[in-house]
Amino acid sequence: MRRIVIFFSMLLIALPAFALDGQQLLKQIDRNMNPESYESYRKLINIEPNGTRKEFTLYTVKKGTDKMVSLFLAPASDKGRTTLRLGENMWLLIPNVGKPVRITSLQSVVGGVFNNADILQLDYDAEYTVEKLEDKGADYLLHLKAKGRSVAYDRIRLWADKGNKLPRKIECLTEAGMLIKTLYFKDVKNFGGFSRPATMETDSPLHKGYKSVMLFAKIKKRSFKDEVFTLNGMATIDSLR
Amino acid sequence: MLRLLFILLLASVVQVSAEEFSFDEAEIEKKIWHLGGYAEARPGLNLLDQSAAQSRLRYYGRHVDDTLPDFNGKLLLEGSLEKDWAKLFVQPSLDYTNTRLTHDLKLSWYEAWLQAKPNEHVKFLVGKKSLRWGKGYAWNPVAFFDRPKNPDEPELNLEGYWLATADLIRSFDGPLQTVAFTPILLPQDHDLNHEFGSSDHINWGGKLYFLLYDTDIDLIMMGRGSRNASYGFDFSRNLTTNFELHGELAWVLNSSRPVISATGQQETVSGDAVSWLLGARYLTEQDTTWILEYYRNGNGYTRSEMATYYQKVDQAWTAWQQSGASSQLQRLGQNQSYSRPAAMQDYLYLRISQKEPWDILYVTPALTSIANLRDGSFSISPELVYTGITNLELRLKGTALVGSRRSEYGEKPNDARVELRVRYSF
Repeated sequence: MRRIVIFFSMLLIALPAFALDGQQLLKQIDRNMNPESYESYRKLINIEPNGTRKEFTLYTVKKGTDKMVSLFLAPASDKGRTTLRLGENMWLLIPNVGKPVRITSLQSVVGGVFNNADILQLDYDAEYTVEKLEDKGADYLLHLKAKGRSVAYDRIRLWADKGNKLPRKIECLTEAGMLIKTLYFKDVKNFGGFSRPATMETDSPLHKGYKSVMLFAKIKKRSFKDEVFTLNGMATIDSLR
Repeated sequence: MLRLLFILLLASVVQVSAEEFSFDEAEIEKKIWHLGGYAEARPGLNLLDQSAAQSRLRYYGRHVDDTLPDFNGKLLLEGSLEKDWAKLFVQPSLDYTNTRLTHDLKLSWYEAWLQAKPNEHVKFLVGKKSLRWGKGYAWNPVAFFDRPKNPDEPELNLEGYWLATADLIRSFDGPLQTVAFTPILLPQDHDLNHEFGSSDHINWGGKLYFLLYDTDIDLIMMGRGSRNASYGFDFSRNLTTNFELHGELAWVLNSSRPVISATGQQETVSGDAVSWLLGARYLTEQDTTWILEYYRNGNGYTRSEMATYYQKVDQAWTAWQQSGASSQLQRLGQNQSYSRPAAMQDYLYLRISQKEPWDILYVTPALTSIANLRDGSFSISPELVYTGITNLELRLKGTALVGSRRSEYGEKPNDARVELRVRYSF
């Protein structure tokens, strides 16, 4: 009996420690992907089943765990569009319309498989709790649960390479466990001081035959004032480049 | 040999797939200047209601068919020059209109301003600028320093006013995340901003913005000058990941409007006017966006005022037909207040758009309706937008105006309109 009590006591002590490890690992994966505050350039490519492509180029700035802004540089029809994320708040500034309007994380300002949450993705650690951590040979498999209802995907399954602790594949799921989309991380490159995947591809059972790709360039650690991430600051993001 | 051929083939495939997604850094190189804009063609066909009041006032004495084609063209250019903390921006628009009755070519400077941004906390701007204040989609009663937008085309560029403004911004941790103050000076005389109101005033006002508990809040005011003193409030908040709520409230002191009396004379009715708007935007799991807004126009005409006006137009029309005297029609036609968008008091705006139905990428059908809740008349506009070709947008839009005689939409000049818009951005 005494042995059983000791066994369960140790198990109870060990469980939170294991959960903490999962969260620490998620934090480490976030930091391996990006510095906490950085600027970067991205190209989004939507590919239709017949091979037709549509490309968007964005300049993105992030600070801390809850601030991010993206400016469309191309194509000409979208140039100047700016999306801002401040925690759970998201806005879109369309130059013609002239004022920022609130948007939701499930919308997509670019069409295709990527939605606003993918384009304005903050740290996973800021939005998700690690419910379970599994050892899958060369990979860790992290089962993530959204911390709040405002997060675009209720559940995430994240496969991370054990060696470099970078994501290889992410499955985005609904609360009921239905697969919304899968993100594939490829082409690990050095960005001057750290290495991370330079290509992210995605497909979705909801958009059969369609594929979207995100390419990353010039990811650089950089600090910004909080005032950059305000509605008044949205129209002047280009001045940061 | 076969193996070598296979390896070469494989290498070439790898090469192709590696080149499949390229990101040339020259694409993101920043220039100090930018030149862009769009060219647009909008051929349209109007089905006229020749017995409608607005049609009689507009076309009396001229022969018009029941169908009236028109062509509108637009060249909107944008140029900017940016160096360090300074930016110069100009946006001229060349607009061409051609119908069987008239043609017109007009150059307008929508915006032309110089901005200085010494740091992230402050920026100054002087020049011509459209401010677009307010949170409403179709209407903005708190946009005191803007030209009224057309609820049928709320996303079109608007011509600004010449003004001087600044933004003072502070961010914080905690429930109050941002505070921004935007003061405005808008001079007005017979040469500058003459459409703004009565002349020779330095108009002033401002906006205080808060992001508080994840809610955008604006407090707005305009001092008495070319227009009457006005106070405004607006808010916007995402209640869930797919539901946004917004509203505006505007209080205009001693507001006035011209009213045609029962004797046919034009009188001025004055009094404080409170206008407000409540709206929501909802995105379904099927990617359908619903925008719904209720608008109360505190300075709008009552149903009896509108009925009197239509009665006077009928009488003026009869007088013109019987005696050829057009003075009454002329006088009534000069009063633009009755024919402006949302001229009455209670309106409902509904827009339903479906993004990429049946997985057809870049196609967005939409249905928009504006209803006058006082007289039951409404407009309904189905449209189809295609953006699959880079920088080219095609939009086919039809509008039907439905209403009984002496109702707002029943007395508009058109029964229906169909329009193709082809816009190329560069």
